[in-house]
Amino acid sequence: MNGLILSSLGLPLLGFLLIFLSHNNEKKIASISFWLSHAMGLSIILLLVVWAVAGFPQHEYEWLTLYEVEGYSFPLLFYLDKIGAVYLFCTWAIFSIIVKYCRYYLHRESGYKRFFLTIFSFVFGLNVVILSGSIDILFAGWEIVGISSFLLIAFYRHRAQPVRNSLRAYTIYRFCDIGLLLGSWMSHLLFHESQHFSELANLFSNPEMPPASNASLWLVSTLILIAASGKSAQFPFCFWLPRAMEGPTPSSAIFYGALSVHLGVFLLMRTTPIWSYHFITRWSVFNIGLLTVIIASLSEKTQSNIKGKIAYASITQVGFMFMELSLGLENLVLVHFLGNAFLRCYQLLVSPSIVVHLLRVEGSTDSDFHLPDQSRFQFLPTSLRGILPDILKNTLYVFSLQEGNLELLVRSVLWTPLKRVGTLINKTNLWLKLLYSFTGFALIGVLIIVSGSTIQYLAFPVSILMVLASLSAFSQKHSPFRVWNAIGLSSSLAGLAVWLINPTAWFDVLIFASGIVPAWILGIIVLTKLLKNDSFSNSPFVYRAFAETQPTLSLLLFLSFLGLVGFPISPAFLGEDLLLSHASNHAPWFALPITIAFVINGIAAARIFQRLCMGQPNELNTVDGHLFKKRV
Amino acid sequence: MAISQVAEPTVENLHNTPLDSPFNIDSVLEHLAHWLPAQGPIKDFIHHNTLHAVQNHPFHEGVAIAAKMFGARSYLPLSDYQNLYQEGRIKNHALNWALAHSELSDTEQLALKASLFDDDPTGHYPPVSLANHGIRNSWLSQIEVDLAALVHPIFFRLLGNFLDQGISRWSLPKPDEHFWDCIVRLTHNSLIPLYPLNEPEAYDLLNQSPDQVIQICLKKIVGDPELYEQYILEMLLAHPGWSGMVHVIEQNPNILLLRRDITLKEIIAVELVLELASLNRKKGPQFPNVMTFPLLKGTPLLKDGGIKPSISLRLKVWHEAMEWSLHSELLLALKAKQAEAPKSKAIPEAQALFCIDDRECSIRRHLEEVHPSIETFGAAGFFGIDFFYQGLDDAYPVAQCPNIIVPKHLIKESNTKANLSPKSKTLKLTNMHFSAHSMFKGWLYTQTIGVGYAAKMAWDVFRPGSKLPNIRALSEVESHSQLHLLRETDELSPDGYLLGFSLTEMADRLAGLLRNIGLTQNFAPIVVVIAHGSSSVNNPHFAAYDCGACSGKPGAPNARAFAWMANHESVRELLSERGIEIPETTRFIAAVHNTSRDEITYFDPHLLEEHPAPNLAAFKEAMGTALERNARERSRWFELAPQDQTNEIAHTHVKNRTMSIFEPRPEYNHSNNLYAIVGRRQLTRDLFMDRRAFLHSYDPNTDKQGDIMARILSAVIPVCGGINLEYLFSRIDNSVYGAGTKLPHNVIGLLGVANGVEGDLRTGLPAQMVEVHQPSRLLIVLEQSSDILDKTIAKLGTLKEWLDNEWVRVVSCHPDTHELFLYSANGWESVSLPESILVPESNTSHDIFLGQTQTIPVHQFIRSHA
Repeated sequence: MNGLILSSLGLPLLGFLLIFLSHNNEKKIASISFWLSHAMGLSIILLLVVWAVAGFPQHEYEWLTLYEVEGYSFPLLFYLDKIGAVYLFCTWAIFSIIVKYCRYYLHRESGYKRFFLTIFSFVFGLNVVILSGSIDILFAGWEIVGISSFLLIAFYRHRAQPVRNSLRAYTIYRFCDIGLLLGSWMSHLLFHESQHFSELANLFSNPEMPPASNASLWLVSTLILIAASGKSAQFPFCFWLPRAMEGPTPSSAIFYGALSVHLGVFLLMRTTPIWSYHFITRWSVFNIGLLTVIIASLSEKTQSNIKGKIAYASITQVGFMFMELSLGLENLVLVHFLGNAFLRCYQLLVSPSIVVHLLRVEGSTDSDFHLPDQSRFQFLPTSLRGILPDILKNTLYVFSLQEGNLELLVRSVLWTPLKRVGTLINKTNLWLKLLYSFTGFALIGVLIIVSGSTIQYLAFPVSILMVLASLSAFSQKHSPFRVWNAIGLSSSLAGLAVWLINPTAWFDVLIFASGIVPAWILGIIVLTKLLKNDSFSNSPFVYRAFAETQPTLSLLLFLSFLGLVGFPISPAFLGEDLLLSHASNHAPWFALPITIAFVINGIAAARIFQRLCMGQPNELNTVDGHLFKKRV
Repeated sequence: MAISQVAEPTVENLHNTPLDSPFNIDSVLEHLAHWLPAQGPIKDFIHHNTLHAVQNHPFHEGVAIAAKMFGARSYLPLSDYQNLYQEGRIKNHALNWALAHSELSDTEQLALKASLFDDDPTGHYPPVSLANHGIRNSWLSQIEVDLAALVHPIFFRLLGNFLDQGISRWSLPKPDEHFWDCIVRLTHNSLIPLYPLNEPEAYDLLNQSPDQVIQICLKKIVGDPELYEQYILEMLLAHPGWSGMVHVIEQNPNILLLRRDITLKEIIAVELVLELASLNRKKGPQFPNVMTFPLLKGTPLLKDGGIKPSISLRLKVWHEAMEWSLHSELLLALKAKQAEAPKSKAIPEAQALFCIDDRECSIRRHLEEVHPSIETFGAAGFFGIDFFYQGLDDAYPVAQCPNIIVPKHLIKESNTKANLSPKSKTLKLTNMHFSAHSMFKGWLYTQTIGVGYAAKMAWDVFRPGSKLPNIRALSEVESHSQLHLLRETDELSPDGYLLGFSLTEMADRLAGLLRNIGLTQNFAPIVVVIAHGSSSVNNPHFAAYDCGACSGKPGAPNARAFAWMANHESVRELLSERGIEIPETTRFIAAVHNTSRDEITYFDPHLLEEHPAPNLAAFKEAMGTALERNARERSRWFELAPQDQTNEIAHTHVKNRTMSIFEPRPEYNHSNNLYAIVGRRQLTRDLFMDRRAFLHSYDPNTDKQGDIMARILSAVIPVCGGINLEYLFSRIDNSVYGAGTKLPHNVIGLLGVANGVEGDLRTGLPAQMVEVHQPSRLLIVLEQSSDILDKTIAKLGTLKEWLDNEWVRVVSCHPDTHELFLYSANGWESVSLPESILVPESNTSHDIFLGQTQTIPVHQFIRSHA
């Protein structure tokens, strides 16, 4: 069974690599994807059969330990149980259908190779998530799914709208990573070695002795809930899902109709013992579901485009799943998940048929909008009775049309304040900045000396600087170098802070730096090469399309972007985890700034990558000698 | 002379507003509106000249103006033409012809010729344009406000929901409510704000009329009245799909199933208020206006006397050379043909009347190859009978004729089987996947039968063949229904239609068509009238696959009506009074050819039982073989079709294509259309034209005044010319003139498709329909002497513009001598073609197309037939 688990994970990865190494030859890519998707299917089916024959056990498998120091280990841990089996089955079924579908659907499309690469990396990430045995591994898969989603939304990178929307989705993903990162850190903190999913239930088995205090359980549950809501487009993040329908229809079907959107539900099921321990957290899961059901089903009523309508219908059903989960109806949720995934996937695939369907089958196209019962307004004075229903109707319509204003809400709560602070920093003169930070250090230094405490407290100003550097990167629009350096600086400060907190952890900090620093330097080199003879600051907002004009450099920039944001291909991923674990042991407060910095760095780096590599190449005939050549 | 030489014909000022007069939005809109695309809702797809706005200019000049307006390409990349030359498809004589017709001096021609083979990978790029580089660009470049990103999503949502024809559950407008009033209602009468119109200045502005709002906003946003017109035009062209749709609806409100009251003026007012609100929000109420921004050198400005086109001469000459090479392939073959002495014609065993459509070009050839004593005719696929048609399954009547005709008659279909109950409108469970069902019903469905969709999906993808339930293409009409053709009373229907035709009206229409195609005697025992339609699944552009002469509908009702009328005894009597004697033994049979599946359905078998037609069995058999061969010929274009196949495998393959939900190319439609030939079949019967010709039958001897030809051309030019130019421009710049790739399309409000949920409507044809198209203008060959054609052309009215400005090319082929003359506004020019080039010859179609993956030159068949 263990071998089958590994092959279910390895085959999509192999497919990814083979497609990556092959030329952009449609036939070859098609046959690679055909064979590997079927091989993966076979391996999944065998795995499920073997697992079933073994009597549906809760199977855990520790492949190897990637890194181990005293009090910390990072094992590659896999786990298969009923939930995983259902998700795995669904992945197999939908993935093999979509691969076959796309063989014809994407025929002659210019991004054929890119599409299959992303689909395979998505499935790899998905299988990692499903088969993960601990939150750390789950987080690795989660990141891979996020990046593939980011790339697929922006598949038609010539147009600004898909690029914008992919960033929108990515920022939500990234924000929700706060939840997962902090959640994984807290589970380190709370459950120590026992963060195995397999052992979670045992921890909570004794009602007399909860593994942690109610407050910290509440915190970790909330974090997990944020992560789940973001990925599953639940309240208050519903708005990104319909806007993510920018790629080819089958990719929307597999991601946003079927699989990706149910990952939040999966996360909740995996961590059920944690959040279901206390009724308050159960109650908040229920409420998130309920709010989502209300807002999404109202928003669905006024969607005049078919994909948006399906998206909101799907969100509503996921909201129901949250509610069912909070009531402890796990088996019902699994059935519901299967039904919703297959139905929405099919709906999206046949969505182009809607014109024919409505014209020739349903016939009636007008749907009126009435408040159900006018009689309930009888008690009102006559003057109001005439207007009120109308006003209510308009109000409801506006609410539904603006999809509950969730986007404005999220933007004004989360991003606008951060951007303001960042802009302020960027406006400040360099010397002033140095002066401020020096003064800050000096003050703390004096305090330390006066109070006679350890040097450890220097980490405090360092971490503030780290967050400020991230914010500066976040709101910098004009110079990619400044963004890149601010991100690099912020990450280095993170390392420095940890070293200050725990000087013995220098080796772990080194691991982290071994991921960050090369990515940083590579990024600087690539940027210098890309932007040679170019005054970037003169042309804000224009996408530069280097992915087409400079494909190799763009790929390198992408890799350094992944390295810098701690994607699971770089040691920085492990490093991030290590840093967090040190924080947990010595200075719990440090987890918050470092996570915020990681998240914001990721968004800033993604934006730079988009600005430079996506968009339409400057195809302009400037025979008549216009000035436009420089600008566009 | 520089390689980048550019001809700059002057164009008169495109707008003639005197600069000192106050800004008048109505008169400005009058000349701005024609820049918008004229594509209506996607349920009817009417092909038209994409660049109708510049049709009053000569072709190349018009294309160049449009390029500067919309920011589009004008020609293929230079290397494409050079490759065609290397492959031998562009001939030297054509290059010389194009140079000679370029109106350059001899030395300039030599210089240009010397530069033809240089490399120039960027010459075909679009120029700096009003739509992309105009004054509205300053928002982004000067104050970093991306107005499009701020305003468009909100604006498109409002428009989409207002115009929606049935996707959303709650419709936005109240009955007879105007768009403007609707927006005012939502803003002022709602308890929660409609972002961003809650901004105080915008909120107050909504109390005024759209006219006033436009004036106030323009003053605040633009400042300089000289720039108002350009600002509005740029704003409309930033979303041509929506602007065009609104304009089309404003012009013709009946085009929608559910009437919506909307005008361009209202959407301009709403968009300006949205812009004002967003600018206030971003930059405060004192935001700088467009007038204060420095303009970049070279910004196109309308006020400077309009757009001056610049034509890349090298690309123009290459393009003309390509067209002339392709055109001369046919002309050579026509010229080489010896004019046959008119034989005393034996009566053929069967006659078949097809649509003019280029997709019928090959099936006619195959049918004649299989069974040489079948005679075929071509006519516009509505067969001269124009009416509104409401089939059994149709919710609404649809027009069954070219869109230039407005029919007065309504024909309804009824069922002859009494036991079939009228269709219930309630949704069946099998259809539930079409409504999204978000709430409790959705919960119930997903919990119960949702899993079943795994099986359904797998079945549809791995075993295509089972169709989407309950969706029938119109072409698959049940043959047991009946059309109510004969008018019983002269009372108008509630909608103001005449219900059916009177006998005289029938005879008028039949006689008109039969004379057009020259079939007034020698009727065979059976005459099969074959309409065409196309079936496909999962295809929002389905209407673009059906008959262009029926406004994007299958022509089956027209064929049935034609056959019924022609079989009617009283009609025949009336016809014989007019000199058309149809023998009593002759039976007319209606059928429909499914062009994507290559299948044929014969209608009204119950009528055949009453009047058996002896030759029909032989005809059906011949047709069956012809369809299989046709399927094989079509398969050569499908890269993923099984190669080295038999006819049967090819036929199965094309049938499967039409039922696969994952197949974006059920057929290639009119791809590679190139010729239109109006004349006797004798002229083209021995030619292999690679499915590239629209064929209309015509007898030159019965038309001494050119009247019949004028009638034919008045349908051929807009229908075939429209198809040709729409394919041409969608192919040359698929992202501007076409709809881009089909894959991410999202159906919006049953009006059209967009990319993603918040994109602009896409007009034109998707990439999957035009990718193999060789973009060349239509060559119309008329088998008539140029003297008579002069009379015809004088009768064409506004259509003459197409010919004079060379949006189509016209050649006269003398009926007796086969001498060829090319039409131009200056008169007829004798066509001289090099003697050295021989027309390739072959025995059968099969030998010609087998293994070919590109377009094939015209071939001559070596065979002797009766």
